[in-house]
Amino acid sequence: MSSTSVYPTPINAFKQSKRSVLSVIVDNEPGILARIVGLFSGRGYNIEALNVTVVDVQKNLSRITIETLGEEKVISQIIAQLEKLVPVHSATNLANLSESYEAEICLVKIEFDNEEQDQKILNFADIYRSRTVQKRQNIVVYEISGTSERINKFLDDLDTIGGIKVELVRSGPIGLGI
Amino acid sequence: MSNDNELTGADILLKALKDQEVDTIFGYPGGAVLPIYDAIFGQNFLKHVLVRQEAGAVHAAEGYARSSGKVGVLLVTSGPGVTNVVTGLTDALMDSIPIVCISGQVPSHLIGTDAFQECDTTGITRPCTKHNYLVKDVSKLSETIHEAFKIASSGRPGPVLIDIPKDVQFAKSKYISKKDISFREHRIKAGSKNVDKNFVIELVNHIKKSERPIFYVGGGCLNSGHQASQELIKLVNKTNIPITTTLHGLGCFPGEDKSSLGMLGMHGNYEANLAMNKCDLMINVGARFDDRVTGRLDAFSPDSIKFHIDIDQSSINKNVKVNFHTNTDITLTLKEINSFIDSNNIDFGDKDYDNWWGQINEWRKKECLHYEQGDEVIKPQHAISRLYELTKQKDTFVTTEVGQHQMWAAQYYKFSKPNRWITSGGLGTMGFGMPAAVGAQMANPDSLVIDIAGEASFLMNIQEIATAVQYKLPIKIFILNNEYMGMVRQWQELLHGSRYSESYVDALPDFKKLAESFNAVGVRAKNISELDDTINEMISIDRPVIADIWVDKKENCFPMIPSGAAHHEMLLSKYDKENPENQEKGKVLV
Ligand SMILES: Cc1ncc(C[n+]2csc(CCOP(=O)(O)OP(=O)(O)O)c2C)c(N)n1
Ligand SMILES: [Mg+2]
Repeated sequence: MSSTSVYPTPINAFKQSKRSVLSVIVDNEPGILARIVGLFSGRGYNIEALNVTVVDVQKNLSRITIETLGEEKVISQIIAQLEKLVPVHSATNLANLSESYEAEICLVKIEFDNEEQDQKILNFADIYRSRTVQKRQNIVVYEISGTSERINKFLDDLDTIGGIKVELVRSGPIGLGI
Repeated sequence: MSNDNELTGADILLKALKDQEVDTIFGYPGGAVLPIYDAIFGQNFLKHVLVRQEAGAVHAAEGYARSSGKVGVLLVTSGPGVTNVVTGLTDALMDSIPIVCISGQVPSHLIGTDAFQECDTTGITRPCTKHNYLVKDVSKLSETIHEAFKIASSGRPGPVLIDIPKDVQFAKSKYISKKDISFREHRIKAGSKNVDKNFVIELVNHIKKSERPIFYVGGGCLNSGHQASQELIKLVNKTNIPITTTLHGLGCFPGEDKSSLGMLGMHGNYEANLAMNKCDLMINVGARFDDRVTGRLDAFSPDSIKFHIDIDQSSINKNVKVNFHTNTDITLTLKEINSFIDSNNIDFGDKDYDNWWGQINEWRKKECLHYEQGDEVIKPQHAISRLYELTKQKDTFVTTEVGQHQMWAAQYYKFSKPNRWITSGGLGTMGFGMPAAVGAQMANPDSLVIDIAGEASFLMNIQEIATAVQYKLPIKIFILNNEYMGMVRQWQELLHGSRYSESYVDALPDFKKLAESFNAVGVRAKNISELDDTINEMISIDRPVIADIWVDKKENCFPMIPSGAAHHEMLLSKYDKENPENQEKGKVLV
């Protein structure tokens, strides 16, 4: 699941690595994503997931959410480096807020062969309250949202069903301080 | 139809440069900047200095900026013009030098088609600039230029690049002047304007309590302006605390003052490095704990409480964890510390740190910079010492290339004012010094500008002599000619069993004749009896001079902390008196 880079990941980064979700507000201008991604690869930081969208058309702002791994010291350095980029308004580690909410969305396409598999899939989909997007003959498409952890569990459970074919896409986590 | 008060992009650029009070630009023409060159042709406020290779333009702009405190400006064409400045932009980023680089780009409609002399300029320069722009719309040009100057010179300064497609240089729009632009604060990153009172109080309290305090001063002090160094001098005099500076901090505090321990770090003074190692209070003023300064991190100043003043948030706790920090400008902070001490009548008189100074004076007795000049071959250390003695009464600026000569210059040339010492520290760019001298001389036409050079480095941007000759810039290139990439040879001797792989500089030109062929002047000193006369002759000539000083080929630069070693694991020179048994080995571990 982790994105790989041509740059070797510094061993240090994993010493006491913690997963962190960073929320970055930026001017929506050409090259901004390249600046951020370049900062991560150039300094040997990790990007586990990345999400970018305009959130304020009038003020021309985008919110970029980055899931990263690193020691606390590394995470503080990443934030300081992000805040040095000219188009960046703010960079926040969601974990440092007193309260924040995190969610991710995932689309899963499952191909199955038989009734038994179909039943099991239905059962899991029900437990996880995923929404059916499409269903025809031996193909079903679900939409599931929630914390990344919850989605991981759902996918792990699907894995226990033998012989089905799963194709999926995930948005990566997004989050908001409350 | 465009209306009358509209200008072409090229004219807008010139008007903006005038508005920014730019009077000098270093550049080299090409297809993608011809409209701008056309605009330069018809005006007279801006002096264009035609370099001989774009690398020369960017280092000249750096030299201009460092020696004047103003933003340095350069102009280059698309493709190879701009790829030639990548090294210099990186150099300026590492050493926090404010420059603005204007580059031409192929016309907008050709971008992305692999057009002639097209390259992804903003892509290539993104990691080596503080910020960069591709201006696609002429109506945004004025604002972009003014923002670029503001960003280059605010907070921690650095290089900014503006890429302007050729059609945008022709297109017309209204000019917006600097005073009509309101900058968006989040983009400027100017640092806090409010002094952290708590930081000041904590610092003064810690100074009162400490027994072994030290100031550790870096290039940030320089960038904060001349007043920063005046406030620093006041504070040092008041407190009687010893002070050491980084390579870039040289000149922020008078090098010959009794409180100065000189430079610290890999080739720093014995007393400076040991004092850093043993201090109980470290006051970092605009230095960034570079690995060439700290040596092995876990052994770096293990017992000190650390205070850090740095306008760049990302320099705090990056390499070394500190106890207290502030991101407010150094001048403001030092001023507040001084006035806090004065208004509270805090007297450090009873606290003269006698034991601490006693210890430091013991270390000083080592005379770590001692050398022995024989009566034949010139010692490079001696060449710099004599250069200093014979030029110190003059208004002098010194630039350097990179290598042993650079470190000897840092050790033996003493600076008493900021901005007089211009060297490539962070990137260590050979070929920096000569074009930087061109820039420094442009900014200071009446001063003496000397590039202390190595013969190998000098060859890297040798073409710029022609620039110096054309503009009648009487720069002096003082080559410590050891026929080796001396610093490489030194590492090979000390760390690679004296296997001098590819470090001999063979087939050197005759520098005297070379100078003459460029219509500059060449002088030479082959042995000690010729040294002073040669230096005096060099200074007396009001034209560019290349002084070829033949020095001892095997001399090494000490003290030296091998990279990855700790401050107390310093190698001293063979001249170290206290360790006669080690003289043959030529080095000693302390
Ligand atoms: C552009 C560049 N290439 C390579 C190096 C590595 N390097 C550092 S010092 C040095 C030798 C410099 O030789 P010289 O200019 O003769 O100075 P000396 O050390 O002999 O005084 C080299 C090759 C560098 N710093 N910059
Ligand atoms: Mg040499």
